[in-house]
Amino acid sequence: MEQVLFTIGVNHRTAAVALRERIAYGDAEIAAALERLRAAIPAVAEAALISTCNRLEVIGLSASRNAPTAEIIQFIARDRQVPPESFAALCYHFEARAAVRHLFRVGASLDSMVVGEPQILGQLKLAYAQAVAARSAGPVLHRAFHRAFGAAKLVRKATLIGHGAVSVSSAAVALASRIFDSLEDKTVMLLGAGQMAELAARHLRRAGVKSMLITSRSFEHAVALARTLDGTAVPFDGYKPYLKLADVVIGSLAVSRPVLDAAECQTIVRERHYRPMFLIDLGVPRNFDERINLIANLYLYDIDDLGAVAEKSLEQREREAQKAEEIIELETDTFMRWLEGLDLVPAIKEIRSSIEQIRCDELTRHQGWLAALDREERERIESLTRGLANKLLHRVLSALRSPAVGSADQLRAADLARRLLCNQAIGREALEDGSLIDDDETV
Amino acid sequence: MVTGLFIAAIVVYAGASVGFLVARSRAAEWITRVGVDLLLIGAGLQMIGFVSRAIASGNMPVTNFWQTVSFLAWVTAVASLVLILRFRMAIIGAFVAPLVTLASAAAAIAAPRPRLSIPPSLRSAWLPVHVTLACGGFAMFVLAATVSLAYLICERRLKAKRPLEASADRTPSLEKLDRVNYRLLLWGFVMLSLAIVTGAIWADAAWGHFWSWEPPETWSLIIWMMYAALLESRLTAGWRGRRIAALTIVGFTVLVGSFVGVSLIAPGKHGGSFG
Repeated sequence: MEQVLFTIGVNHRTAAVALRERIAYGDAEIAAALERLRAAIPAVAEAALISTCNRLEVIGLSASRNAPTAEIIQFIARDRQVPPESFAALCYHFEARAAVRHLFRVGASLDSMVVGEPQILGQLKLAYAQAVAARSAGPVLHRAFHRAFGAAKLVRKATLIGHGAVSVSSAAVALASRIFDSLEDKTVMLLGAGQMAELAARHLRRAGVKSMLITSRSFEHAVALARTLDGTAVPFDGYKPYLKLADVVIGSLAVSRPVLDAAECQTIVRERHYRPMFLIDLGVPRNFDERINLIANLYLYDIDDLGAVAEKSLEQREREAQKAEEIIELETDTFMRWLEGLDLVPAIKEIRSSIEQIRCDELTRHQGWLAALDREERERIESLTRGLANKLLHRVLSALRSPAVGSADQLRAADLARRLLCNQAIGREALEDGSLIDDDETV
Repeated sequence: MVTGLFIAAIVVYAGASVGFLVARSRAAEWITRVGVDLLLIGAGLQMIGFVSRAIASGNMPVTNFWQTVSFLAWVTAVASLVLILRFRMAIIGAFVAPLVTLASAAAAIAAPRPRLSIPPSLRSAWLPVHVTLACGGFAMFVLAATVSLAYLICERRLKAKRPLEASADRTPSLEKLDRVNYRLLLWGFVMLSLAIVTGAIWADAAWGHFWSWEPPETWSLIIWMMYAALLESRLTAGWRGRRIAALTIVGFTVLVGSFVGVSLIAPGKHGGSFG
C-alpha cells in the first residue's frame, strides 16, 4: 500500500483577493470543513486545512498511490460555492517531495507576500491544531507539521530573513531607533494629517512614543486625528514654536515650497541644545528643504529615502531567502528519508554487508579445492554465490519495505532482521556448524 | 611561564579581534559572543601574568614604560568587557580588541628585562592607588574614543541615507553612544583628577614637594585641562553628537601622543611610566 503526501490550494500569486476572501475559512469553521472533506473523499487518509488571507491549502495524505486532486478541488468549489472550472484553473498542486517542500517553504515564510513576515508560522500552527482537534492529522502529518515548524525556526535562526524594515512606515521607526535610544520620552509632531503620516505615527506610537502634536491646515482634521492618536492638536497659524519640542517631525503638507528651511532648523537645533532631531518628509512636493540634512544632529529623510531603506531590506530578505531555500531542501530531504523508510538505511547496509561477509567467508573456506578449478568454473561459482546472496537480500529488503512506511511494524521488522542476520555472537557460531544455513530461505 | 601567559593572552586577544571584525561584516551574533569570550579569557590570562609578576617582584608590575603599556591594555580590556556586557556595546569590540592586542604585543616585544624592584624612596601604598587611577582614567578615555568612532561611523551612514543593514540591528542608537561617551569622559576625568592628587601626595611623601613641573606632571595637567574643557563645552554650551565625538578622538590622540612622548623622551623622575 503506497500513500502519497499532497498539497492543493491557491495563494496570493495564483488567485486574486476577491476569490481568496470568498473561499477563506474562519478559524471556527475549519474543523467542521475537515470532517466534511474526509467524509466526502475516503481516499484522504490524513488532512489539514490552511486558511489565511493569502492562501487556502489542503495538505493531506492519500490512502492510495494517487492523490485525489480533482476530488478535493471539486469539494472546495462546492463547499465555498465557487465555479469549479475557474477555481481549478487557479489551483496548484504538489505531491510527495514537492508537497513537503512547499509546506516547509510556507512555514519558513518563503512563500509569503512579504518574504520573511512572521505571522504565517502562527497561522500554520493554528491549522495544525485544528487538524489535530478534528482528528484528521495522522502520524505523517504530525511529523510533517512538526518538521515544518522546526525548519521555520532554523531558518529564522540561521538567516536574516525576518530582519529589516520593509515598508515606509516601519523604515521610519527603524531609523528613529537608530537615532534615539528610547522612543518613550520622545515627542512626535505631525505637520499635515495625511494618511501616510497617520500610518507612520501609528507605527511610532506602537514603538513607544507617548507624546504627539498634530497640526493641519484644517484644525478640525488636526483635532480629529489628535483624538484617534491620543495626541494634542496645535493651530496651524502658530505651529512653528512647537517644533523645538519635537524629536521627530513628520511632514505631509500639500505645499508648493518647503515650509521649513535650513536657517530655521539651525535655530531650532540650538534651542534644543543640539539634541538630535529626525525629520521625515512624506510630502510631494517636499515639505522640508533638503539642505537641512547638512545640519549636525539633524537627520532628514524624504519619502524616496525611506522607500530606498525599505527596498534595501527587501533585497536583503531576498538574499537571505536563497540561504533559507537551501535549509529547506536539506530539511525536506531529511523528512523524505524518514517518509520513505530510508531511515532503514543503516540496518539495510548492515544486513547487506553481513550477507556479503558470509559469502566471502564461505568462498575462503573452500579456497583449497576452488583453486584447483579452472578460471571459468571459478567465475561461475563466484556468480552463483553472488546470485544466492542477492536473492536472499532482496527477500529481506522487500519484507522490510512492505509494512506502512515509518510504522512501528517496519522498525520492528528491521530490528529483527538485523538481529537474525547480523548478530555476530549467534550468527558466526551458528554458521560455523551450518545449522542456520538451511533456514535462510525462510527469513 | 609568566612570559608564556602574556603571549597566550596576546594570541587570544588577536583571536578576539578577528572575531569582532568578522562579526561586523558578517553580522553573526555567535561570532560576537566568541569575540567577547576570547576577550574575557585574554584578560584572565593577562591578569594571572600580572599577579605572578607582582608576587615575584613584591610590587605592582608597572616599573617601566612597556609594563605600564601592558597594564593599560589589560585595564582597557576589562573596562571594555564591562561596557560590552553591561551596556550592550559590542560594537566597540572591533576597535578595542585590536588596540589591546597591539598594545600588549608591542609591550611584550619591546619590553626590556623587567626591572624587578623600584627605588625604596618610592615604595609606598600610594603606588597601586596612583597607578590604578591613572590607568583607569586612561582606559576610560580610550573607550570614549572608540565609542566616539562608532558614533561617527553610524552618524555618517545615517546622514548619507545608508543606515546599517538589518544585520547590525544591535548597533546602539546615536543617543546611547553619545550618552555613554559622556559618562566615560566623566569617569575618566574623575579618575585622572584623583590620580593627579594622589600623585602629588605621593611626591610630597617621597621627594618632599607636591609638584615640580616635570614633563609628566605638566602634561598630565594639560590633559586634565583638555578634558575639563571638553566636558565644559558639553555641560554649558550643550555640545553633543558629532562635534563632541570628533573632539574626544582628537583628545585621545593628544593623550596617547603625550603619554608615549613623555615616557620615552622626557620621563623625569617618573621612573619611565606616566599615565
